[in-house]
This record gives sequence, C-alpha cells and structure tokens, in this order.
Amino acid sequence: MTARRTSSGGLIERSRTIGFTFDGRSYTGHSGDTLASALVANGVTLVGRSFKYHRPRGIFTASVDEPNALVTILKDGVREPNIPATQIELFEGLEAESQNRFPSLEFDLGALNQLAGRLFSAGFYYKTFMGPVIGPLRGTRFWMICEHFIRRAAGLGRAGYKPDPARYERMNAFCDVLIVGAGPAGLMAAEAAMSSGKRVILAEQEPHLGGSARWSGEMIGGKAAADWSQDLARRIDASENVRILTRTTAWGYYDGNNIAALERVTDHLADAPKGAPRHRNWAIRADTVVLATGAFERPIVFPGNDRPGVMLAGATERYAREFGVLPGEKIALFTNNDSAYRAAAALRQFGATIMAIIDVRAKISPAARALAEEAGVEPLLGFAVTATVGRRLTKVLVRRFDAETERLSGDARPIEADCLAVSGGWSPAIHLASQAGRNPKWDEELCAFLPPEPTQAWAGAGAFTGAVTTAEALSTGRNAGLKAAGKKLSRAKLPEVTAPNLDIHPASVFEIKGNGKAFVDFQHDVTVEDVRLAHREGFVSVEHLKRYTTLGMATDQGKTSNVPGLAIMADARGLPIRDVGTTRFRPPFSPVSIGALAAEKYGHFKPDRLTPMHDWHVEHGARMMNVGLWHRPMIYGQPGETVEQAYTREAATVRRSVGIVDVSTLGKIAVKGPDAAVFLDRVYTNQFSTLPINKARYGLMLRKDGIALDDGTTWRLGEHDFLMTTTTANAGRVMQHLEYVLDVVWPDLKVHLTSVTDQWAGAALAGPNARKVLETCVAGSAVDNEALPFMGLVYGEIDRAPVLVCRLSFSGELAYEVYCGAGHGKHVWEALITAGEPHGIAPYGMEALGALRIEKGHVTGAEIDGRTTARDLYLDWMLSKKKPFIGSALMDRPGLIEKTRLRLVGVISLDGRPLGGGAHIVESGDLNELGESIGHITAFCYSPALAQYIGLALVKGGKELHGKRAYISDPLRKHFGPVQIVSHHFFDPEGKRMHG
Amino acid sequence: MLIPCPHCGPREVSEFSYQGDATRTCPELTSTDVKAWYDYVYNRPNPAGPHREYWQHSGGCRAHLIVTRDTRTHEIHDVAFARAALNRAGEQA
Amino acid sequence: MVERQSPLTPIFRPAVHSNDVGSISITLSEVTPLSIVEAACWPGLNERLTAAIQEVTGLSVDTTPNAGVVGRGTAAFSIGPDRYLVSGEEDLSARLARVLSEETGTVTDLSHGRTTFRVSGTRAEWVLSKLFAIDFSPAVFPVGEGRATAHHDIFAQIQRSDAAQFDLYVFRSFARAFWNTLCTAAEEVGYEVIEA
Ligand SMILES: [Zn+2]
Repeated sequence: MTARRTSSGGLIERSRTIGFTFDGRSYTGHSGDTLASALVANGVTLVGRSFKYHRPRGIFTASVDEPNALVTILKDGVREPNIPATQIELFEGLEAESQNRFPSLEFDLGALNQLAGRLFSAGFYYKTFMGPVIGPLRGTRFWMICEHFIRRAAGLGRAGYKPDPARYERMNAFCDVLIVGAGPAGLMAAEAAMSSGKRVILAEQEPHLGGSARWSGEMIGGKAAADWSQDLARRIDASENVRILTRTTAWGYYDGNNIAALERVTDHLADAPKGAPRHRNWAIRADTVVLATGAFERPIVFPGNDRPGVMLAGATERYAREFGVLPGEKIALFTNNDSAYRAAAALRQFGATIMAIIDVRAKISPAARALAEEAGVEPLLGFAVTATVGRRLTKVLVRRFDAETERLSGDARPIEADCLAVSGGWSPAIHLASQAGRNPKWDEELCAFLPPEPTQAWAGAGAFTGAVTTAEALSTGRNAGLKAAGKKLSRAKLPEVTAPNLDIHPASVFEIKGNGKAFVDFQHDVTVEDVRLAHREGFVSVEHLKRYTTLGMATDQGKTSNVPGLAIMADARGLPIRDVGTTRFRPPFSPVSIGALAAEKYGHFKPDRLTPMHDWHVEHGARMMNVGLWHRPMIYGQPGETVEQAYTREAATVRRSVGIVDVSTLGKIAVKGPDAAVFLDRVYTNQFSTLPINKARYGLMLRKDGIALDDGTTWRLGEHDFLMTTTTANAGRVMQHLEYVLDVVWPDLKVHLTSVTDQWAGAALAGPNARKVLETCVAGSAVDNEALPFMGLVYGEIDRAPVLVCRLSFSGELAYEVYCGAGHGKHVWEALITAGEPHGIAPYGMEALGALRIEKGHVTGAEIDGRTTARDLYLDWMLSKKKPFIGSALMDRPGLIEKTRLRLVGVISLDGRPLGGGAHIVESGDLNELGESIGHITAFCYSPALAQYIGLALVKGGKELHGKRAYISDPLRKHFGPVQIVSHHFFDPEGKRMHG
Repeated sequence: MLIPCPHCGPREVSEFSYQGDATRTCPELTSTDVKAWYDYVYNRPNPAGPHREYWQHSGGCRAHLIVTRDTRTHEIHDVAFARAALNRAGEQA
Repeated sequence: MVERQSPLTPIFRPAVHSNDVGSISITLSEVTPLSIVEAACWPGLNERLTAAIQEVTGLSVDTTPNAGVVGRGTAAFSIGPDRYLVSGEEDLSARLARVLSEETGTVTDLSHGRTTFRVSGTRAEWVLSKLFAIDFSPAVFPVGEGRATAHHDIFAQIQRSDAAQFDLYVFRSFARAFWNTLCTAAEEVGYEVIEA
C-alpha cells in the first residue's frame, strides 16, 4: 500500500500522536486528523462494503459529502452506525468498525450479491412486491422468503441495543445575521456584519474556520490562505457580538427564517465534560441569513469508478495540504475542468508521482498548463478513463475521447496508478437555499444548479453563488455581510488573492459510456444502467426517477450523485439538463441524531404532574398510575393483596364507613365578572343563573355539534364569582373551549377565566361516617345537614388551614369535597386522615373510585367519548328547555336521536369472570354465528356492593334491552361469555345514601 | 412557522392552537336555522391561498387571534386580537 | 395560619453543583412571594387597572404589551392583553379586590397555584434558552418586562427581575418536574441551589 503520511506540511499537530482502532486493529494518527485522513495515512483505503452489491469501497471525499466511508463508532458500549469517516475527528481510544461486511471486510460473503446483480436492479423492491404470479412464489410470498436474506445482506450499519447514555439538548438562539459556512466568503461576511454591532452567528460544520483557505495553497492578503483565515477567525472570535459555532451543521431552513443547526459538542472528545450534551440542536431565528455554504466537487461517471483508490481531486488536494497525507504514490488525475491541475501540482509538491492528467477537453488554459508542468506531466488532452483495474486500484485504462460527440476511439492504453483523482466540476451547495427558495437555475457554463430566487430573507456569497475564484468569494462575502447588517457597501480594498488563474468551468461531460458497472450513487449502489432502465420503464420525472432507483436517497442525500444522475437521465431522454429539472433538497442536509431532535425529552416524554399530596401517597404505599400527565394513586395495596382485592377493600370501606380520595387533579376554572352567570347559562345545558350563592350544581356541556363535551360541578361563590370544576382529563380542553367562545362568539361578555386547578388541593371524603369525620376536624362552621345540605358549601378551617367544604357525591355515599390552598393540601389531608382514624378511614385510589362510580352508573370520559349525546347517556334531564345553550341547536338532529344509537346500560357478568374494557357485546351465544356487535363495554370492575363483576356499556337500544341476556365477545382476552343487561344505576338507585 | 402575536411578538407555531375557520360566524344561540348551524359547524371552503383563521396563543398570552394566512406558503398577511376585532365589528353592525 | 408547603419539599437541597471545570455560573432558588395574584380588566380599562396596581403595590406599570416593573418585595408584569401577574404582600388579593371595582375588572388569587423559581447569574440567559423559544437578550427583554411562554407542556410566565435574573412562575403541579429540568439544563455551566 502506498498511501502515506508526508514528512512535513499540513495543519495537523505532528507532535501529538493519537491511538485508535479500526476493525480491531490499532493505528495512530495526529491531533487534527479525521478518521479518514488517519486511515489514509496508515494506508487503509478499503473501508467498507457497498449497500447492495457488497463491492469494496474506499474513501472518496474529505468532507460531509462522503458516500462510501461510513463506519460505526463504538463509544461507552453504544454503537453509532453510518458516520462518515471524513467527519470523525480523531481522539485517543477512538473505536471504529467498517460496515456491511460478513465475516470481514477483506473477505465478504455478501459480495456474492454481485453475481445476482440483476436481482437488485432499479425498482427491485417494487417489482418484488408486485411480482409476477409464479406458483407459490407469488409477489408478497416471494418477498417474505427473500426478506431474511435481504435484510442481512443489504443495508448500512447495524444499530446497537443498549440505551444511549449521552444527553442531548435544544438551544434557541436569535440573531440579526446568521452566516452559514466559514470559508473565505463566510469569514468576510462575518467580519463585515460584526462591525455593525449587530448580533451575528457564524456556523461552520468543520472543526475549524477557514474552509477551502485551509487547503487551497493560495495567498490572501500577502499570507498563506490558511494563516489569513486563522488570523481573521481570531479577530471574529474576539468580537463580543459574534457567536461562533464550529462542528455545527445548518441542516434545515424553515419558515420565519428559522434555521435548524446541529452542533456536535462532544463527539470529538474521548470523555464528555459533565453536563455537556453530545449534540445540541440549535433553532436559530435570524433576521437575515448569509449562505456561504461553498460548492461540492462531483465525480465523472465511468466504468469501474467505485474502485478503492478513486477519489475526488479536491479531496486528494485537501488530504495533502490540510492533513499532510498522500492518498497514493502514483497518482493519475481525470478531469473535465482546470481544478484538478492544482491538485496535481500539490500532490507532486508533497512527494507523489503524477502519472497522468487525463482531460476530456481538447484545450486547457495556460494556468492549467503551467500547473501540469509543475506536476511534471504532459496532460493527455482529449482522453477519458474507460476502466479501472485491481482489487485496489493498480492501473486505469484510457482511450481517446471527443468531448463534443462523447465518442471514444483508439485502443485502450493502460496507465499505472494507485490513486485516481477525479474532477467532474463543482456544484454549489444549494441545499438550504432550495428549502427557502424557488426552483434552482441550471447554469450551462458551470454545468450546475445555481441557487434559486429566495423566498425568505437570505443572500448568498462565495462558491455557493457560482463564484469560482477566492477573490470573488471575498467580495461577495463582504457585500453579503454588509447588506445583511444593513450597512452600505464598502469601497475599501479587499485582501489581495494570489492564485493560479484557473478556469473551473467544466466541459459538459458527465459520463464515459463503456462496459462494466458505472456507479452514479455509491451509497445506494445505483448504476448508470439502473437510471437508463428506469427511463426505459417509463420513469421520466426526476421525482419518480429518484424514488424508483433510490438515487440520492441515502444518508449522503446524493451530494456527489445528484447532477451526474440528472445528466444521465437527460441523456436518456434526449433533453438538455435544464429541461429535466432537479428534485427539491429537503432537510436534513446531513444526518441528524434522533436524540438531538428529542433533546431534553429524551427518557421522559412528558413531565410528571403531581398533586400536593403526592408524597403522602407514595409514603403510604400507593401504587401510582398516569392519568394524562398526572400521577394518581391506583390502589393503596397492603402486603399480599392483588389489585382487585385492594380496591375491593377500599371501596367496601367507603360503603361501610368512610374513605378519602385525592381529587386535586380535577380541572378548576375561576369564572368571574358581571356576565358570569349569563355565560354559564350559555355554555352549560342546565341553568346556573338561578343557583344561589354558596350552592353547587352538577352541569353538563355540549360541543357546538350537540355531542357531550364534559361534566362537572360548579359552585357559586359570589354573585359574579363561580368556581367551575371539570373532569381531570378534559380540564385543558374545557378551558380552551370556554376561552374560545368568550373571545370569538360572545366577545362582548364581561367574564374572566383563570385556571385555578393548581391553586386548590381537593380531597373527597365519602361514606356513612364522612360527616362524623368532618365534625371532629372542621372549625369555624357547622357541617350538619342544615348548615351543609346536599350541594351546599361552607367555609371553615381544618387544623388552622382555611378550607372550603362542599357536599356532593360521586360515590353515591354521603360525601364531601374539601378544598384548601394547594400549599396546605398535605397538611389538611393528614388532618382528615387523623380525624378519620377512629372510623377506620381508608385512602382509596383510582380503581376504587372507578368501582364506586360504576356501581352508581355515573359517567366519565369513557362514556363521554366524543360520540355520545346527553340523551345517549340518559342525561336528558339536564337539558334545559327554558334557554338555548351551546349544542342545543344541533343536538336533536335526526342522526343524533335515532333508535339505533348506542346508549348507556349496565352489564352484569353471568359467568363470574371480569368483563374487559372495549369488549364487544353480541346478541348471539353461538360462537360461529356471532352476528353484529350491538355495543361495547366502557368500564368494568368487581363490585363489592353487588359481589359481582359488573360494567357499563353503550349498546344499541339502551334501556329497551334492560333485563335481556347478551354475550360479550372479547377475543383479544379470550373471553366469550353471557351477560345480563340492566340499568346502569346498580346501587342505591334512589340516592338515599348520599342525601342521608 | 412563526405567528406574530400582537401581544407577545413572533412566536413558534408550537405555542399556538389552531381554533378553526374565522370566516364563519356563530348563529345566535336562539337560532333554529339548521342550515345556518350546519354551515357554521361543518361547511368549509378550504381555499388554496389567503385564509382567515383563529389561532389561540395557548402557550403564551392565551388570546385568540384572527390570522390571515396563505395556506400554500404559510405567509401571514395579518394578525389581530379576535376579541377586539369582533367587538369593533359588533359595534359597527 | 399554616405555612405554605413548597412542592419541592422533599427534593430541595441547597448545594453546589459545579461543572467540569469547577465553575458555577448560575444560582437557582425558589422564591415564595406571600401572594401571587392575577388582575385583569375589561377591554379599554388598562389605565384603571394599572392605577389600581399602583395604589396597592406602589408599582407603576405601563399599559404596553409585556410591560412590567420590579419593586421591593413586589413585582407586576403583563401576561396577556388586559392581564397582569402581581406578586407581593400577604393580603394582596383582598387589597387589590377592594380598589378594583367590578366595572373595571377582577382579581384571582394564585398564591398556592403558582411556584416561582429564580434563575440568576451570568449564564442565566444561556440556560433558559435551552428551554424556551424566546429571546432573553437584555435589548429585547429588558429588566421588568414579562413573557408568557411554554416549555412543551409546562406553561411559564417569566419576568426579568434584574440584569442577570429571571423569575419564572409555573403551575405548582409541574414545579418539581420543571425544577429537575432546570437543574439538568444548568449542569453544563455549573449551578448552585440556594435558599431564597
Ligand atoms: Zn401572545
């Protein structure tokens, strides 16, 4: 192997040696190396196997556009696949693995796929799914047979199974000017913008500022370009109003001039500092954006163009000048433009032998000729590479080539080479621009798409605009920076650039036709033949072509393959490229970790919402459950109890003596103002204007379309002061509904709404001994039947804390709800528990609460499910006939009063087995002739009062089915059994207990 | 997408809740004109272009806004407080 | 009277949590104003509402959106059109209700319902920018002003109470979750939890 580190030169720190492993073998590199440059320096040029055919692949580029050298990083026991080696900074102990090979990179069984090449041609997946009917191998079945094999053979890296221990963050930033890209143009823009005092952010995806200045070998302002860029970067860094973000890729351009950018904060470090996120996903809102994203070099497509050793010319130059690495000893170059000549001269200068410069053009510029002379070679003009030879490249074959007619002639001539540097011209990196602009414009001179007209506030600079020289980059950069900062353009002299006067406008040659596989998209293994096949099969739109062949759909998003692919399509269609058009680039520009998108939501998607008594519940053995965001006790289990035993005991204690449940989660809304009563009359189906002060009423709300929305009690605290409660689940929805009608439907009403859910802690005390408990602990007010009748409320104190006690019942027992300031919640709760101890008070959880309400037939969200009406739930009695209300106009339309509607009933299990939520109810007991579902179970429990499994259900006909036998069909839980349909008021239907 | 709230300034769309078509007016509650109610509750023109719609700044000042938004581009032409605008309209009527 | 319990009670510990390089860039604390009140007026009566706030608290608040002012042990800021959050003395709600007639507006006590966290220090803007999509720079968000915004499900009303200090009012039930989020976000720059 002949790739090697040069003896001097480059921007690496040669004094600092770093050890790393690749596929288990140890190597060393230097500080400043990427994994790619270090591998090349160690002579490792075979780094991966290709996606479909498992062809050996080498490092192809030096940057984010890398299609081949994807590796898996192992860090902290976690596998992170598909990272381009060109983007990995070397650190001590770095562990990397090659991908998609079995058993090893050198000997890979999957390479047999190459023999089955036809199988994997364009549209393979579609054709297989839709496959012809050939006996048992019909389309989908064939797919299933193949799947196992394909899943193993095709693909990229393998993800790990361990949770990712890294942390990720989001960061919101605001600035006047955001500059994307810190090459010569971006640096000039930043310098110009910062002098205005505006807030500037400069984002650069590489670890260092400078871009091409770091490896162009040019002179700027009388200094080596790399030094010039470092000096300028230092000046910019010293400015207070500029924030520099390195290792930060702007990956999406969104509405409102919002740019998403991923900062890789700790990937380059062996150990992440405490608290530092691995990746930080920036959401940057900028008044103006300067896009100085540069240009990507693209390859020429020719047979054998994917052989390890073939590399982009600019990349070879960068490896030499920035990293002090030669990708080969005997290097040939193949080009259609002048830029490869500079690379040739650089490689020669660093010690390589230039074997040939093969140029498709018949004529070149004097500057190119001079560089060829420096490289010590006479260019082969009017030639093209037609084949490559060697497991790793050993030679290339060239033939005469006419760039006008694209015809080859003469015999193939071998040229010895261990590296072939290719340049097919330069394409501006218009990815972000095309997300915030109209259609890109094809430029015949540059043979590339130029940035579109902006649809958002951005301006371009440098090579991104199609500018080809560094001098132009400096001037367009400064102008863009000044303009973005709202300053006048400057006439001050720009730094002088000394550079060869090259013409990088390429000859319009994208492909050399010949025998053998020629790859367009290396990462997805899309060949020229795939593109032509797609065309023959009728895929002419570029959007279809892309999806059918998967060209440009790999993780590199076709950075190297886009233009060649379009050119080949245009050729197949006999159209100019301009008329073929291009696909729109979508975010992300380069892959973004899912962790960065989840950011601080990683590991816990939703915040925990806790009641003031939460810690008491946990301390007293409650098993907590999530109800929306809230944590609520499910049961307070005792040792050895099952869930059913626990809630049965809790519910039975309520019916027998007294229980207490935390109801702080109920939605609470303060409704205040002179029009509060009028407002409530309109939003509730029943009347509230007639409610006396210090009384409560149960209320029902409908939606505009007549469907039930929510229920709850509302208390009148003053003439114009109401406290509304909603169900826990609907608190937010009801608040929004009320705010909406107040802002939009009756904007003239003087009513204020404030969410006071969190202001009040609530405890419901229920059971025949509830009053006795209150009597021993409430001071300042009597709580007897006279002072506190059903639906009455009083103010008092419990253990010195002010409370509001309302008598109402959800359980059907004599019951009270005690409210106090949330900060007193635990204090009051504990006082109630103490007062209840003589009566054996039981705290009860959601399960017992559910059992008690099912026994009473009270509805909740399971029945108010967004489909049921008040009549469906037998709540007609709450529909006032004296006044209109929201929903009254549409609640009785024909569809909502049909006989076949699902209506509320009770259900008793007749086989002694629990019912299942969502289980269907059928009339037939014959498992083979079930007939249609007539409804479903909404809630179920074991009823301690009835000593039976019972449930609530919505069934066709409702009440009319009372007394009938039916069956529940619950195949998921393997339950089919008889039930009796009864009234939903299972227990104490007259309500004697709660009025007692 | 950003919505420039007249109280809070431009904020991310994630702070807002879409609250429906603002070109429809709720009939009087006393109205029994079923067609008018159907139109209000169900019928929507769904234009490709500028559209008046309600957005609540639910993750901010809680006010409902009338936003004129181009449904093709998300460009926002106009924003006003719904309550103030509707009250003004009510006085003029 | 019984003392109001903080939602952080079992987890709040004054302590130093320095970052990797041993520095502390912010302090976190729970401040407990004796009262937190929402005062709101009917459209067009903003002047009367701010006059009432001034009468009770001595704070002179502008009627412009986001306006606010911080005084000694008391503060007020706009949280929406015609709505202000006022913090201060024990009986603030009753005193405001006395001077604010029903023709002008309403007062709602939120002393138990909101928890107030104070974030101060040189990196306060940086840490809060991780959680909220609003611009915390002093030129855009000057001392005294308020903002209503949200961190995912957690609604927050924020006042800049000093050059490098923010007071965040969050719903009490979310306080513990938000406090943990805040501490996690602050780890990078190093933080100290202090008693207010
Ligand atoms: Zn707002």
